[in-house]
Amino acid sequence: MVSKQEIKQLVIARLKTLPEDTGMSIGSQGDFNKREMIAHVERGDDVGQKIVEVEMSFLRGLKEGILYEA
Amino acid sequence: MKHSMLVTRPNFDLTTRYISIWAKKIIALAKSKGDAVFDLDKKRANRKEFESVIRKKEPSLVFLNGHGNYNVVAGQDNEELIRVGDNEQLLKSKIIYALSCRSGKILGPSSIKFGADAYIGYDEDFIFLYDENKQTRPEQDKTAELFLEPSNQVMVSLLKNHTPKEAHKNSKQSFARKIKKLLSSQSTALESSAVRYLIWDMQHQVCCERLTK
Repeated sequence: MVSKQEIKQLVIARLKTLPEDTGMSIGSQGDFNKREMIAHVERGDDVGQKIVEVEMSFLRGLKEGILYEA
Repeated sequence: MKHSMLVTRPNFDLTTRYISIWAKKIIALAKSKGDAVFDLDKKRANRKEFESVIRKKEPSLVFLNGHGNYNVVAGQDNEELIRVGDNEQLLKSKIIYALSCRSGKILGPSSIKFGADAYIGYDEDFIFLYDENKQTRPEQDKTAELFLEPSNQVMVSLLKNHTPKEAHKNSKQSFARKIKKLLSSQSTALESSAVRYLIWDMQHQVCCERLTK
């Protein structure tokens, strides 16, 4: 079983690999640069939780063979 | 078949700037086919003009770009254009594509109950990555293109007379093609990261349709 903290670290590690000039738009929650994305995940606020949710959804999807469906 | 299309294009922050500019490609396509286009951009994307055009011009297609939530799709400065339990009956007999967060979950099904023919949207947040160096030229942003081109495929298909279900399917296939391409190439870190957000958008695009006409 992977802990929430481990998931968070996994997401942050993934975000750190992004080019410095990458931004992310999450609808009405706003737009964020790489440093802000990482800060939100570290804080665990709504935006951070959304980024983690996408990662979790992706990891669950991998287990269920989502890439074969794509 | 000729269409008439109402497009709302608020433009007041980065997200709305991007989707507003990418929606221009759909407007150009519609005009090239001789379709009537009612383009409510920037300050014209307000509730008064929106309701007026819907009532007077009776467009068959409605392309909503803007912020939203489960109950609302908004226009310029987040003014509500359509809200559940308020004015979704305006969408009666129309096919709607909402490039907006979350409205596919409650507003979409509710508009179908009030007589809309079909509502394609997203039941969760629509997320996209972009290149910060292209913020002033969103149409040249190859990172954002990964997301906004498959999204636009809904409208491309509708304008080419596909059914809403087909348009929804074509868009999802377009997302899938991007994902496969990113996975099969020598992916950069950016492309590899983009895959999870493309899958998210693809999985959360929904299509509600009226069962009988």
